[in-house]
Amino acid sequence: MAARFLNLAQASEAALIVAAQAKDQAAFGELVKRRQGWARALLRRMCNSHAEADDLAQDAFIKAWDRLKDLETPAAFPGWFRRIAVTTFLMAKRRQKAVFEEIDEASPIASEDSTPEAAAGAKIDLEKALARLSDAERLCVTLNHGEGLSHAEIVDITGLPLGTVKSHVLRGTDKLRRLLEPAT
Amino acid sequence: MTDFDALLKRSFAEAHEPADDGFAASVSHGVARREAMAKVLSGVQIVFTILAAATLAYAGWLIAMALGAERLLTFAGDGVGSARAALSTAPSTGEVATGFLRSLSAGMSQILLISAALAGGAVAYRASQD
Repeated sequence: MAARFLNLAQASEAALIVAAQAKDQAAFGELVKRRQGWARALLRRMCNSHAEADDLAQDAFIKAWDRLKDLETPAAFPGWFRRIAVTTFLMAKRRQKAVFEEIDEASPIASEDSTPEAAAGAKIDLEKALARLSDAERLCVTLNHGEGLSHAEIVDITGLPLGTVKSHVLRGTDKLRRLLEPAT
Repeated sequence: MTDFDALLKRSFAEAHEPADDGFAASVSHGVARREAMAKVLSGVQIVFTILAAATLAYAGWLIAMALGAERLLTFAGDGVGSARAALSTAPSTGEVATGFLRSLSAGMSQILLISAALAGGAVAYRASQD
């Protein structure tokens, strides 16, 4: 197998993907090592629970291993994997029947545990603020602001109607603005 | 883009990414387990396929034996000398009929066995594909 001659630590992501497509588990392991931070961070923003997000990330990577032969070009891996991660998240939420569950009207988060470093930017409070959004708002806001996807791309990846996506992004962003205001 | 949108994008970009606290090893373990399971299922599928083929061959042989005796009886009835000689040594019609029915019942159990083996093979194949 060609991948056996790869120096995994120095191999490019494309080489790792090609080797993993040839069922090289070590190459796939290296790919997971490199991408796990991004994938888990993405799912942690979508989920309220870190443990649940990590379980979903693990499921998503195992699904990716099963479907790697469907990936046409290595360059498409991030978008292709993101789609698997989002689908895994949506399936889990559908099992929990909680995708469109709304929470009460957002109120500003008290920033009693904000550190000076946090006050310099909003990054520590961002996670707390995201937790106050509904599942659908959090998903749409994360994909739009976090992953840089357009509304049309979010429609494509989630299967939600365009109007619903726009509404969730708008409302979610507005809620975040109000929630993060005291810390910014 | 408003200032807040820019701040939001920056906050997402700067957000903390979790360290690899055994996560990659856990995924690799899951993948290895999945591959091992796929190999087992593939082996089970091969065993069931061989079993089905062997059962089919055996059932075919039993049926051919039963039909062969019957055909021999038919030739004898046509008055072919050599067949008549064979008929004289062949068992009686009643015995042949009984033998044929016995073979048929044995064949039925083989057919049921084949069906079960094929169904098992199909289930194993399906599971390996999933």
